Amino acid sequence: MKIFSLRLLGLVESAKEYAIFIYTHRRMAITADDVSLEDIVPISLDFAIVEGEQLSYQEEELELRLPFGSHSRLFLNEVIRAWSGRSGLKDIFKSFHDFQLSLLLFRGISSREGRDDLVRSSSHTPSNKAQILTMPQFGLRDNLIKCELLKNEDLYTYLEHFSFFLGTYNVNGQTPKESLHPWLSCTPDPPDVYCVGFQELDLSKEAFFFNDTPKELEWTKAVFEALHPDAKYALVRKLVRLVGIMLIFYVKKEHAEFISEVEAETVGTGIMGRMGNKGAVAIRFRFHNSDICVVNSHLAAHVEEYERRNQDYKDICSRLQFRQLDLTQPPLNIMKHNVVLWLGDLNYRISDLDVDDVKELINKKDFETLHNYDQLKRQIDKEAVFDGFMEGQIHFQPTYKYDTGSDQWDTSEKCRVPAWCDRILWKGQNVQQSFYQSHMALKTSDHKPVSSLLVIGIKRINAEAYKKTFEEIVRNIDKMENECIPSVTLSKREFHFKDIKFMQHQAETLSLLNDGQVPCQFEFIQKPNEPTYCKPWLTANPPKGFLAQGGSVDIDLEVFVNRSTAPELNFGKQQIEDILVLHLERGKDYFISVTGNYLPSCYGTSIQLLCQLREPIQDMPQETLHKLVMSEVGNAVYAEKSLDIPKELWMMVDHLFRSAIKQEDIFQQPGLRSEFAEIRDCLDTGMPDSLPGSNHSVAEALLLFLDALPEPVVPYCFYQQCLESCSNASQCEKIISKLPQCHQNVFRYLAAFLRELLKNSDSNRLDVNILATIFASLLLRSPTKQDLAEKRRTQEFFQHFLTQGSA
Amino acid sequence: MAKQYDVLFRLLLLGDSGVGKTCLLCRFTDNEFHPSHISTIGVDFKMKTLVIDGIKVRIQIWDTAGQERYQTITKQYYRRAQGIFLVYDITSERSFQHIMKWASDVDEYAPDKVQKILVGNKSDDVDKRQVATEQGVKLAKAYGMDFFETSAFTNHNITETFTRLAEQVLAANKKDLDLLRMSINDEFNLAALEEEEGLCDSVVGDQRKGCWC
Repeated sequence: MKIFSLRLLGLVESAKEYAIFIYTHRRMAITADDVSLEDIVPISLDFAIVEGEQLSYQEEELELRLPFGSHSRLFLNEVIRAWSGRSGLKDIFKSFHDFQLSLLLFRGISSREGRDDLVRSSSHTPSNKAQILTMPQFGLRDNLIKCELLKNEDLYTYLEHFSFFLGTYNVNGQTPKESLHPWLSCTPDPPDVYCVGFQELDLSKEAFFFNDTPKELEWTKAVFEALHPDAKYALVRKLVRLVGIMLIFYVKKEHAEFISEVEAETVGTGIMGRMGNKGAVAIRFRFHNSDICVVNSHLAAHVEEYERRNQDYKDICSRLQFRQLDLTQPPLNIMKHNVVLWLGDLNYRISDLDVDDVKELINKKDFETLHNYDQLKRQIDKEAVFDGFMEGQIHFQPTYKYDTGSDQWDTSEKCRVPAWCDRILWKGQNVQQSFYQSHMALKTSDHKPVSSLLVIGIKRINAEAYKKTFEEIVRNIDKMENECIPSVTLSKREFHFKDIKFMQHQAETLSLLNDGQVPCQFEFIQKPNEPTYCKPWLTANPPKGFLAQGGSVDIDLEVFVNRSTAPELNFGKQQIEDILVLHLERGKDYFISVTGNYLPSCYGTSIQLLCQLREPIQDMPQETLHKLVMSEVGNAVYAEKSLDIPKELWMMVDHLFRSAIKQEDIFQQPGLRSEFAEIRDCLDTGMPDSLPGSNHSVAEALLLFLDALPEPVVPYCFYQQCLESCSNASQCEKIISKLPQCHQNVFRYLAAFLRELLKNSDSNRLDVNILATIFASLLLRSPTKQDLAEKRRTQEFFQHFLTQGSA
Repeated sequence: MAKQYDVLFRLLLLGDSGVGKTCLLCRFTDNEFHPSHISTIGVDFKMKTLVIDGIKVRIQIWDTAGQERYQTITKQYYRRAQGIFLVYDITSERSFQHIMKWASDVDEYAPDKVQKILVGNKSDDVDKRQVATEQGVKLAKAYGMDFFETSAFTNHNITETFTRLAEQVLAANKKDLDLLRMSINDEFNLAALEEEEGLCDSVVGDQRKGCWC
């Protein structure tokens, strides 16, 4: 679907950056106040101009139809110049259609956000710095509050009556020659509000074509001088004028502060149905808590044109729209006001009666009979116009048409039938008319001015009640909002994992139930200074997700200690202790504490340390282990007492040597996970003569042991040397002889064992390559990442020790 | 009223476990009181709208876990706060002693401009009082803070305390707010401006001409 609407475009340059600014505008834009920035399209690399009429691209496109003419061409040339300057492309567009220029602005999705920022940053955001947030999404809240306030208006408003003086005067293009005092100051007390409308203020061509007239000043001055002398008045919003139709709005000075949301609009219904020789001007405003609209109209002339007048009225009602300050709100039309006051030269005549009969009735002051021939009355009775409007009884003689400067009926050739052209009507609740009269004393025009004093009940705010109502509404909305903060219940807040063992999976379930009033998104979030949301030995599965209202989800909290986390846990450097932060999007955070105890294991313990443990590791008190770790960092205190190789290693190798030397596919076939657990427990808790499990399980337990060593058998610092001398057997031997004693022992012990295995290669089907591949990667681990070439060199290194004769 | 600019502040309740932070919050936002103590394990928040000086101030009040073991985590919430309530329990000398520690954490982790207020809660429980009002006054003075004794149970001084801190935060950000208000006036005070013009017309008759141009 395509929607076309009118916009103004501007090409804006700043620091050699270009952008097209798109403005909305109301009517003809004359001053900067008439336009407002709607969008900014930066002329950047993802900007493109495409010419054409068939446009079927993605949503991020704008089709601009420029009016034909040299201005459009100039604008396009400038845009293209700016664009080709950016993109380095030149002369892509040689010609555009002459009768319709279509311009497509095309941009990548990525630019959307940035552009919105631009638009926003060009409006008021002084608060950002101080972290006071201007929150555009509060618009919804405000509308809600407004809505509720309106609904409960009776609770905090009361009626107070104010007098509105309404006057209408068709001045027939004359200049003010006499004081307007008899018309405007005819009340004993000064009215609270003046709404004074003029028609035919200026009949000159200049006024018609340029909407400019010196008479505006003359008449407004005349009005001002004739306002009731017993009060001071403030002019609200100067005035509104369309050619000769003018409306002036004064309020008593003390009421000015209660007038707000003043807007003025005009609608022309004259020549071609648009021009300003006929039509209406209107002012809307809020007085205390009532919305009031005042319309001054000059409808079509001539006796027979009453239907045209009806049509003018309808056109005015539909076309006259006040914009609202909150641009997100639709414009207001005339009828959307508490009170509508309509005055003007409505031009309805007296028909179906001879001019003599009319004058006869006037002489008899039988206005009631005469009124029955009034077109306006007839049309209102037929509900053809001014539906719902009221008009007071007419006790004055027709106000049209007189010989200028006299009270004589028209003596010209046309000898027009007198008519009540000039009228005052109202629509709305709580309006009482005090008087409705004409002013024969004024003789400047061929019309007589008309006035009416309406006493209107205006809704005033009881500040205290308003505050109470407002606070109540806000409290309810706050409450609603607080209830809508996502919320879940957790089945458990503390998890304890007992006796965690190396490479033994433990899991517990955390159930989340969304007991809030909205669906929610949950996620475990990172804590400061930690790379992930939890410790490496812990996982939560799933770590994030979506919960429908009333829905629930089970999250598995899994603990698994592997070779990278075991070393720290073995000696209490780290504890099984973590706090997970479960965050609900736009909601609260829950802390979940995970604790547990880890049973130390030979797995993940250094060769050096194991050599000092004559007892099974789990028989050692935690403090002793801790002390040993500390002394290991310094110097081995128990050096003389230490074992040649870790007893756990000896147990496994010895077991394999005794029972698996001929085992087919030894080290190539995986063991059982359950048997590994038994072997691990056996190594960590006792010194049995033989190990449980199959040969394959023991073989795998050995490999895992080597893999879990925090410092490999060939320590990291020797790794590079080994690579460098891998092709030289004696060099390799030299390096091994430089290893720390216990590491050297382990290395030689394992090599000797493997050579024994190779002697039985007929049965166990092992060869040098296989063993080198398996063991080199465990004994010679790279401190960083290992590539394939390095891997081959470690194998080459280790092969020397599998093939050599010496032990 | 047309488009509105609201301000949003984050206020944080800090203090030992059991001093009544959650109760203060519940009393303030929902006007409810639950006597049983359920430890807040995590960080909870509620919204409340206040009108201060004609500005609609929306405050987001964060209620934090007071237990010590969570403090390394709760500290990370400090930096997003514009105002902080340091809450102790007048029946617990210990919770009062700990205010020093809470205050020094705030100095370390909260933004420089953060506003603080000292709150001695459970003022209704006079029989068990361990911290004299004067001690609170003295400590608050030493820190340059305002001080309130409150009771979430009897609803004593609750609104006053929250409003005061919100006012302080507002005042601390006054410069930015003035800009904010200016921009509001630009758009909305047409009637007032035009009234001025009108006034000069009506008051000084002879100078009228000048005003019409």
